[in-house]
Amino acid sequence: MAAEESGDAKAQAALSSAGPSKEMPQKPNYALKFTLVGHTEAVSSVKFSPNGEWLASSSADKLVKIWGVYDGQCEKTLYGHNLEISDVAWSSDSSRLVSASDDKTLKIWDVTSGKCLKTLKGHSNYVFCCNFNPPSNLIISGSFDESVKIWEVKTGKCLKTLSAHSDPVSAVHFNCSGSLIVSGSYDGLCRIWDAASGQCLKTLVEDDNPPVSFVKFSPNGKYILTATLDNTLKLWDYSRGRCLKTYTGHKNEKYCVFASFSVTGGKWIVCGSEDNLVYIWNLQTKEIVQKLQGHTDVVIAAACHPTENIIASAALENDKTIKLWMSNC
Amino acid sequence: MAHRGGERDFQTSARRMGTSLLFQLSVHERELDLVFLDHSYAKPWSAHPDASSARPTRMLFVTPRRQHESSIESDVPIDVETVTSTPVPLYDNQKARSVMNECERHVIFARTDADAPPPPEDWEEHVNRTGWTMAQNKLFNKILKALQSDRLARLANEGACNEPVLRRVAVDKCARRVRQALASVSWDTKLIQWLHTTLVETLSLPMLAAYLDALQTLKGKIPTLIDRMLVSSNTKTGAAGAEALSLLLKRPWDPAVGVLSHNKPSKLPGSPLILIASSGPSSSVFPTSRRHRFWQSQLSCLGKVIPVATHLLNNGSGVGVLQCLEHMIGAVRSKVLEIHSHFPHKPIILIGWNTGALVACHVSVMEYVTAVVCLGFPLLTVDGPRGDVDDPLLDMKTPVLFVIGQNSLQCHPEAMEDFREKIRAENSLVVVGGADDNLRISKAKKKSEGLTQSMVDRCIQDEIVDFLTGVLTRADGHMGSEPRDQDAEKKKKPRDVARRDLAFEVPERGSRPASPAAKLPASPSGSEDLSSVSSSPTSSPKTKVTTVTSAQKCSQIGSSQLLKRHMQRTEAVLTHKQAQATGGKPVTVTLGQASAGARESTGLLTSTKSGAPEGVISGSPAPSVVSSSSAPSALHTLQSRLVATPPGNSLPGAPSASSLLQGLSFSLQDISSKTSGLPANPAPGPAPQATSVKLPTPMQSLGAITTGTSTIVRTIPVATTLSSLGATPGGKPTAIHQLLTNGGLAKLASSLPGLAQISNQASGLKVPTTITLTLRGQPSRITTLSPMGSGTAPSEEPTSQVLPSSSQRLPPAP
Repeated sequence: MAAEESGDAKAQAALSSAGPSKEMPQKPNYALKFTLVGHTEAVSSVKFSPNGEWLASSSADKLVKIWGVYDGQCEKTLYGHNLEISDVAWSSDSSRLVSASDDKTLKIWDVTSGKCLKTLKGHSNYVFCCNFNPPSNLIISGSFDESVKIWEVKTGKCLKTLSAHSDPVSAVHFNCSGSLIVSGSYDGLCRIWDAASGQCLKTLVEDDNPPVSFVKFSPNGKYILTATLDNTLKLWDYSRGRCLKTYTGHKNEKYCVFASFSVTGGKWIVCGSEDNLVYIWNLQTKEIVQKLQGHTDVVIAAACHPTENIIASAALENDKTIKLWMSNC
Repeated sequence: MAHRGGERDFQTSARRMGTSLLFQLSVHERELDLVFLDHSYAKPWSAHPDASSARPTRMLFVTPRRQHESSIESDVPIDVETVTSTPVPLYDNQKARSVMNECERHVIFARTDADAPPPPEDWEEHVNRTGWTMAQNKLFNKILKALQSDRLARLANEGACNEPVLRRVAVDKCARRVRQALASVSWDTKLIQWLHTTLVETLSLPMLAAYLDALQTLKGKIPTLIDRMLVSSNTKTGAAGAEALSLLLKRPWDPAVGVLSHNKPSKLPGSPLILIASSGPSSSVFPTSRRHRFWQSQLSCLGKVIPVATHLLNNGSGVGVLQCLEHMIGAVRSKVLEIHSHFPHKPIILIGWNTGALVACHVSVMEYVTAVVCLGFPLLTVDGPRGDVDDPLLDMKTPVLFVIGQNSLQCHPEAMEDFREKIRAENSLVVVGGADDNLRISKAKKKSEGLTQSMVDRCIQDEIVDFLTGVLTRADGHMGSEPRDQDAEKKKKPRDVARRDLAFEVPERGSRPASPAAKLPASPSGSEDLSSVSSSPTSSPKTKVTTVTSAQKCSQIGSSQLLKRHMQRTEAVLTHKQAQATGGKPVTVTLGQASAGARESTGLLTSTKSGAPEGVISGSPAPSVVSSSSAPSALHTLQSRLVATPPGNSLPGAPSASSLLQGLSFSLQDISSKTSGLPANPAPGPAPQATSVKLPTPMQSLGAITTGTSTIVRTIPVATTLSSLGATPGGKPTAIHQLLTNGGLAKLASSLPGLAQISNQASGLKVPTTITLTLRGQPSRITTLSPMGSGTAPSEEPTSQVLPSSSQRLPPAP
């Protein structure tokens, strides 16, 4: 149920397929391509599949929807959770999805059949975030019960519980090799774990201790991007425990808003904002290079396509839509 | 003194760069070589200005300290995309992965009922725990937890570039946890057999594979305990299943197996004889560590290895530390002299671990040897580092190579440099990054650098070869060319010995007397066997005998006098005991002697003025407690042996009981090392009565000695039979050990397990029984073939099977 946008967006899409220009572009020119309408409640998360064909979205309407990236059509709807879904994630081969729900469970889905393969039970409170590891034999989840759990995909068993934090866990992520896990929490800590042993290797902490609302490894696993509820994004060199870049200008004090690295064209940082915009910064210079206007509520999620200059953004209950934006650089 | 600069060095490094994958690791060395490439006249940049004889230190696996930039400029572009390419593993990855998954592939062997469907993935819910006792539940949960962590590690490491090494580390960890869990129930036979059966029946296949991996690892360390655990399931599965399982569990897999067996080190030039000085008197309380045995076999790739073991006569009772030391030095020294007299042109290389390294150094001061290699040099003493002005070591003139661990407790790289400055002898130093006193690298190091101990060991060996090649080729000028025919001799001889012993043993096995001491004198061929033993210097009896004879012959004032005196005294002590039957009294007497002697010996070795009060204090009280508890049983055995010994038997000067014992132990070993196809040969070969008689045919005896692995294997269990020495020795070697190695505190820890073992033995486990048990299982093990390359540790494996390791009755290492 996608509404086609005006002609110039199409032209830009055509341009973008010509490939990114050689020298680093100064500014992107993202323009709205599709608006995906379908969820009946606030959307909580959007993720592109690693093969670039699909977009998965989770919502407070207890559903996970899978959309075609290039036509904006809703391909599948996954039913099963009893309560709102906070997060969804793809396996590396794009064949599985995992969703984290307020019903204290995670569900593993088979994308082609749309069936729930496993229900992971064990958390004692809302499950808030989840991710696969690169070989996709493990799932990691963070919960309001303040723990991080590592699950075996094949059996659906919890292999390890990390008593990680003293407040709800807002985000968990594996690095590109799968050897490390990063977790962020409202307690203001950002911890790095050895995936194999479950030992905490490092803790990143700031002086004023603002709640961490999002964390993510950079694509090469060398840096960590953190979002804190003081309107700030930071890029860390975690091996030395030091902050390298700070991105500000957006509004983020209440929600756990997703942020993302955009590396398909210029090197950008993309993040939603509570002023209903999507913000794009230049990764190196920290300047805001573009703001995407269109949503009518808080933009809770923003995701970048793995190979093309496409951004997906999703907004809360006044909006309920997902928007796909394209740029030619 | 030709430095390693110049032509030769460049050639060797080029050769190694081409052939050895392991060479990639030593980046530091290559940098050095590049400088030499352009400026061969230059001194190495790291050459010490004040010490012309000290070659620059070579670092193995020492991570260079990273230079931290003081600040990162904000305009340096941050690359969030490029993944740093991971280094190619230094082993054959495909092969490593294949051995890594051995247990997974063969997991079905373990199942008692192979036809039944495997337990489902959610097997945990189906485990019927009704009727389990609390202990059973607890044990099961512990094991389960260990296996779960292992599962996590497996999954998390999947696909990693150095997955085999990571898996190996994880499996070792899991094995440790399983061992801890089993030790927490004191290896209660009933309980662990129940556990094994239950696990095999209920675990899902992947978990069972993890469990088998853990068993495989433990089997290498504590074979008898694991065998005991498997007994019940073996009876259920039947012979085929048991066979397959024992095949699988035969030895832990090693990621580096392919590389190491493909790049075998070549023999040293000039076919030198490698003498290994033991680092303490051999006894059952401190059997030769697996690591030392492994190295012994590794060194046998380089040349003929002759381990020189020191045996305390009369089971060591009444021997002071000073005497013991004299004895050790004397043994090595007389061996050197013996070789000199038989093979005047053979280069001799002395190698020793820790205290053995010191002994080797001291011998090199007194006798001419070609080179000395010190593995894990105990530089630091209670009175500070060695190398005071009056330290005899400073007078060394023999080229010496020190190999030390970066994290060694007894040595420090910087202190070592100071020491090297003072030595006049040409010397080299190799520092092994992240390694301890025994040159073992830490787990973290393995993980972070994708290494295995076998790879590190090989690199150390390469360094040793490099050093020795340099020394030997320089000294080659006046070397004779006799090695050829001797090699031929060598091939003939060992077979002969084995066969003869086999012939002797076959009827013996049938009757299998309860006490080994009882059976020996009963057999008319006992003396024969004994003499055949003594003709082989590799085996300990020979070493001892040669010590005595050649000491007498050459009339070395110090040690031979000392020896004689000592022998008389120990005999006296023994008869005293015999009369007393049992009791703790003599123990204290000897202990007093030991500590007194200890004081002297520290003076000797450390060349310090005062004694080592700390060492004495920590050494003596602990043993006295334990040895008194073990005294009765040990004394009994001792007694029975003494009585059983026919008077007038045996070698000149050597006390009969102990040598008989050793002879016996030797024959026992021969059962184990025999191959099944060998025809029994009832006619024993020439078996002279004593070494002195044997002397006219020295070539033969030497050939028999030094045949590398198989012979070495045989030597080891000697210590086991000697275990009857329990009484005083329990205390004695501890004190000696501590004082010799000087790190009083550090060594105390290592001595404790041994002590604990004594008391355990006293409480029911008789040593001879253990031996027979393990031997029974032996033939099948020989015929089995291993899917893994057998090149890496051919000798380590069988010995670990034969020898009931001292630690197996103990709680696991922390």
